Amino acid sequence: MKLLTHNMLTSHVKGVTKGYPLLIKATEVKVNEVEFNPQFVSRMIPKLEWSALVQAAEELGHRQDLPGELVADYETNEEFLKKVHRILLEVEVLEGCLQCPESGREFPISRGIPNMLLNEDEA
Amino acid sequence: MVGTRFFLSKEEKKVIRKQIKASHTLLKHEGISTTPHPTESVVVANGGLGNGVSREELLSVLTEAEEVESLFMPPHKPYAFVTYRSVESARRALTQLNGQKLQSEENSITLYLSYVNSVTFEEEKSVPLPEGLVLVEEFVSPDEEAVLLAAIDWLSSNEDVTAQKSLKHRRVKHYGFEFRYDNNNVDKDKPLRAGLPDECLPVLERCVKSGLISIMPDQLTVNQYESGQGIPPHVDTHSAFEETIISLSLGAKTVMEFRHPDGRLVPVVLPGRSLLVMRGESRYLWTHGITPRKFDMVPACSPHSPASDLGTNRNLTLSKRGTRTSFTFRKIRHEPCCCAFPSTCDSQGAASAFSPSPSSPPSLPCCHADATRLEEEYVHRVYNAIASHFSSTRHSPWPSVCHFLSLLPAGSVLADVGCGNGKYLGVNPELITVGCDRSNALVQICVERGFQAFVSDALSVPLRTASCDACISIAVIHHFSTPERRLAAVRELTRILRPKGQALIYVWAFEQEYNKQRSKYLKEQIKDMQHISKGTNSKLSVHTNRTAFNTQDLLVPWHLKEGKKQGEEDSGENTKKDKKTSGNSLPVFHRYYHVFQQGELEQLCGQVAGVRVCRSYHDQGNWCVILEKD
Repeated sequence: MKLLTHNMLTSHVKGVTKGYPLLIKATEVKVNEVEFNPQFVSRMIPKLEWSALVQAAEELGHRQDLPGELVADYETNEEFLKKVHRILLEVEVLEGCLQCPESGREFPISRGIPNMLLNEDEA
Repeated sequence: MVGTRFFLSKEEKKVIRKQIKASHTLLKHEGISTTPHPTESVVVANGGLGNGVSREELLSVLTEAEEVESLFMPPHKPYAFVTYRSVESARRALTQLNGQKLQSEENSITLYLSYVNSVTFEEEKSVPLPEGLVLVEEFVSPDEEAVLLAAIDWLSSNEDVTAQKSLKHRRVKHYGFEFRYDNNNVDKDKPLRAGLPDECLPVLERCVKSGLISIMPDQLTVNQYESGQGIPPHVDTHSAFEETIISLSLGAKTVMEFRHPDGRLVPVVLPGRSLLVMRGESRYLWTHGITPRKFDMVPACSPHSPASDLGTNRNLTLSKRGTRTSFTFRKIRHEPCCCAFPSTCDSQGAASAFSPSPSSPPSLPCCHADATRLEEEYVHRVYNAIASHFSSTRHSPWPSVCHFLSLLPAGSVLADVGCGNGKYLGVNPELITVGCDRSNALVQICVERGFQAFVSDALSVPLRTASCDACISIAVIHHFSTPERRLAAVRELTRILRPKGQALIYVWAFEQEYNKQRSKYLKEQIKDMQHISKGTNSKLSVHTNRTAFNTQDLLVPWHLKEGKKQGEEDSGENTKKDKKTSGNSLPVFHRYYHVFQQGELEQLCGQVAGVRVCRSYHDQGNWCVILEKD
């Protein structure tokens, strides 16, 4: 699971209103090399929930010097885009779980795949 | 490099050209960068496990030149990496070996060597064996093996002593009781006249003495597999046999694959003369099967405990299959099974994934609980079981769907709800795409292909409201068994869309012929009588593949094929041959569908507030709508 995906995921346990962002408890993280496409990264940024991304990066210990707020004129800031590219597309959680911040319910991540299925009573 | 000549011969130029071409291919398809500057590491194009070259064959060629420090052959790849002691050594090796021919099996392969800057090994963790599985090597001696093999007379016409059938793919013989492939059970009231052959007694006594079994088996099934034959994944019927099942491998080794319902796959090498003991989870929950292959990937040197060594990539080679005969001993069970695995237990209510028609056919559900159970049995379990075969028949994205995807602006967030094997996730690389599916096995295939996907139900998608610019749901909603659930699925799709976002939905059409055009699903010759019959009872009927539908709620058969096949792509189902002549041993799965009538999908979407239908059409046997959120 890449952090781009994590940024979109939310807890959907019945009754939960503050299910986003999910907390990440990772036991295995991998960093891949992905081709850097500045325009693609640039287009992704407005779709993101920035603070959730920073929090996730922090939880994984991969925040490095990612700023707490979006920088202005990021479209032309190649260095910044590279940092975003790395954290969104290159860092991958292979094993661990995602935890609902409100209910504490844990969704396992196995072989890079989050299993978000709910039980009968949670749906 | 070429002595004192300044000019290269024609032959030398040709080799260099081909070497450069091989380098480009490696870069383009495998992401491997070669370098013109000599280093200690070399990539050998065309010398890989993936193109039929074994470790031994490659080593014998390589060591003709220079001593090799290490050789890494990545599984399934058409190249290998060699590391030499020094740069000079590598240079000499490259000069001598570049363009060298290698005779492998019936093929002549030309090796092209190039320098690489680094070789990265992907060290995978060793995979543990399924719970309850024990492999005992060298259980019988070569002499004992010969005696046992000789005890089976395949040509005997003594039909009432044994039951010998020549199944399409492998030879089978039963002793003690006959195992029936039509219901995957045993005729407990009709024992075969002769019991187990006397030659088996010493082996069985050894099993009892070693504590591997406590009761003497009374049923024996002998399977003979030629190279290229196998057996599809299955769980031995719980109600037919007691817990412990032992299987002796004779004549040749093979690789047996164990699959857990959650999608995990564990390959286990079964050496010749070894005994496999299955209990607990490995007997009751995991399926086991042998993929029909001529070559298996096995560890190169036989280490001391090899069974789980397929988990590491370090030293693999190809092993050609020989003829393997298995002796599987089982004890007939006379009371119902009460194991801890009800999901796969036919005594405890699970319809065995293998039985062609369950004893009591399902009915159309009238409440959510029934619907959930029906869909679990006739959709989710089936897709998990057939995932890889299913995926191999779903390789061509439909043009109209691709068109929808191509029109989305670059950088759009797209959700594919019910993404299956990820067919559409990579169609438009400018999009930010995420897929989800109810089947873990299918999601694994997506991730293996490099896409992002997660497991979830389409009725409750864990994406934030209004977070997607677009979504697609192709051939998904027709698997929901009540109108309320189908409506709920459409509501979820619209919930995750942002205002003005669009959703594309495809469902299977009741009307397979539209505008005088028959869909590819229908077979040419069959004359259809098209009318909708609401059954007199509410039992779901089983559809005959490739014919017109005559009811909207039905079970559609899927015939699991052994191994992968690039099957024909069509709007619905696979299988050119639906009339199985001798496929008694091949399982048939039934999937639940509600096929939509003309206008029904639009009407369904019309019930959802905040969204309108902007396009509605028929495409190759499917009804399709494009919705736009207000």
